[in-house]
Amino acid sequence: MSGKICSMLAFVYLLTVMFVSPANAYAMHIMEGFLPVQWAVLWAVLSLPFLIAGVISIKRTLRDRPNLKMMLGLAGAFAFVLSALKLPSVTGSCSHPTGVGLGAVLFGPAAMSVLGCIVLIFQAILLAHGGLSTLGANTFSMAIVGPFVAYGVYKITQKLGAPFWLAVFLAAALGDLLTYVTTSFQLALAFPAEVGGFMASFIKFNTIFAVTQVPLAISEGLLTVVVFNVLAAYNSQELQELSVLSKEEVQI
Amino acid sequence: MFKIDQYAYANRLGAVHPAEKFAFAVVTMIVCIVFSSMLTSLAVILLMSFITVRRAGIPGRFYLKLLSIPLSFLVVSVVTIAFTVSRETYQFIYGFTVWNLHLGITARDLDVAVNLFFKSLGAVSCLYFLSLTTSMVEIMSVLKRIRVPLLFIELMGLVYRFVFVLMETAGQIHTAQSARWGYASFRNSYRSLGQLISNLFIKSYHRSQMLFTALLARCYTDELNVIEPGYPVSAKNVLMIVLVELALVAMSLFTGGGLFGGIYS
Repeated sequence: MSGKICSMLAFVYLLTVMFVSPANAYAMHIMEGFLPVQWAVLWAVLSLPFLIAGVISIKRTLRDRPNLKMMLGLAGAFAFVLSALKLPSVTGSCSHPTGVGLGAVLFGPAAMSVLGCIVLIFQAILLAHGGLSTLGANTFSMAIVGPFVAYGVYKITQKLGAPFWLAVFLAAALGDLLTYVTTSFQLALAFPAEVGGFMASFIKFNTIFAVTQVPLAISEGLLTVVVFNVLAAYNSQELQELSVLSKEEVQI
Repeated sequence: MFKIDQYAYANRLGAVHPAEKFAFAVVTMIVCIVFSSMLTSLAVILLMSFITVRRAGIPGRFYLKLLSIPLSFLVVSVVTIAFTVSRETYQFIYGFTVWNLHLGITARDLDVAVNLFFKSLGAVSCLYFLSLTTSMVEIMSVLKRIRVPLLFIELMGLVYRFVFVLMETAGQIHTAQSARWGYASFRNSYRSLGQLISNLFIKSYHRSQMLFTALLARCYTDELNVIEPGYPVSAKNVLMIVLVELALVAMSLFTGGGLFGGIYS
């Protein structure tokens, strides 16, 4: 192969990656049927304990405050609608927020794992996005790793005395980033490269998807800060009921 | 609002028992993924699209458009799997060099990638059969029958009901904002979208409180019970499903599909 044609092909490939993926840059879900059986089953089995724990924790909360059930149902619908919104991305194209950080901070990670799983089912069936056989893997990356990371980051940065907006930004952005790294991890485990094995494959997937996912994480971080600012300014009472804000923060 | 949802209520297989449709889609999908042979995948794609378009009466053009949705993920991922990047040259069946890196395709990776492409499309056609012929309410009734926790299903039901309300509200707010140049610049669109989301959140919060009050007034405790419409179980359909699945399995085994995906994937 002559060098010219080769570099041209590489250029065309890069262009396709740049233009095919951002055109539809939803949060990254592994599509239906993409994972081999053993991996699909493994991730489903790994997600199950979190879902069971989530259902149990929701049940316990409902015993004291039964009105929260309606709240959770609407929160799920809210997360679904959020994922269907178009978010102007830093690169100029459009992407879709995941709502992982927002949900984790508002409702806590345990409830988010159950709600996230439900939202993923709806996305698969109503929007043809994601899938049933890959539901376990997607739940693990988007409804378990994402919210837990976001919540952990939020709590730690707050404890370190960081301003509220920074904690929210970091929680949303890192929650998004870790979600996509987990997905790349899952794909690389299922499809190790012939040369270089798992690591080579992991790096490959990370680089390819970084094109869309890094701008998305930054945009979502910014957006979540704007959302919380509006909420804190006009709806501090509701936030307090959800116990997101402590009393002092509201007064500031 | 969602075309798929619309077709799920208005297709020619609407009267068929939801458990039959659910079982057909899920079992076929499992067969397609477990055998992961090219021939099985092609057979599943043809079978499922034939039934969806011909029997259920979904317009062919809409079906094709739907199939193109996962294509961006599929193409990018499959190409990523097919190409190998390394510093040393390797036995590529096709390859080139950019700067100091060698990019190429090995025979094994190409095999995995092509097989994966068709397998995924096969599974997707099964998913589409389910989502285009079976409404969410019917799917939930099937889930209830296979003992998914009641709380989970109830939350699903609440989410399903409210998705449409919130979608419409979000659309109205968006229209109103655009009419006032809300999305005219990058800065503006962030502010507008932030306001839209926080407003939507507060609206859903209040709506949920109102719903709870309304339900309490009607003696609500613990769960919402609704009467499900009865569906006749058709012996002919069950037999057909069993025969088709057996034929698929036989064909896969006969053509050397091998259990658990042959050698590679």
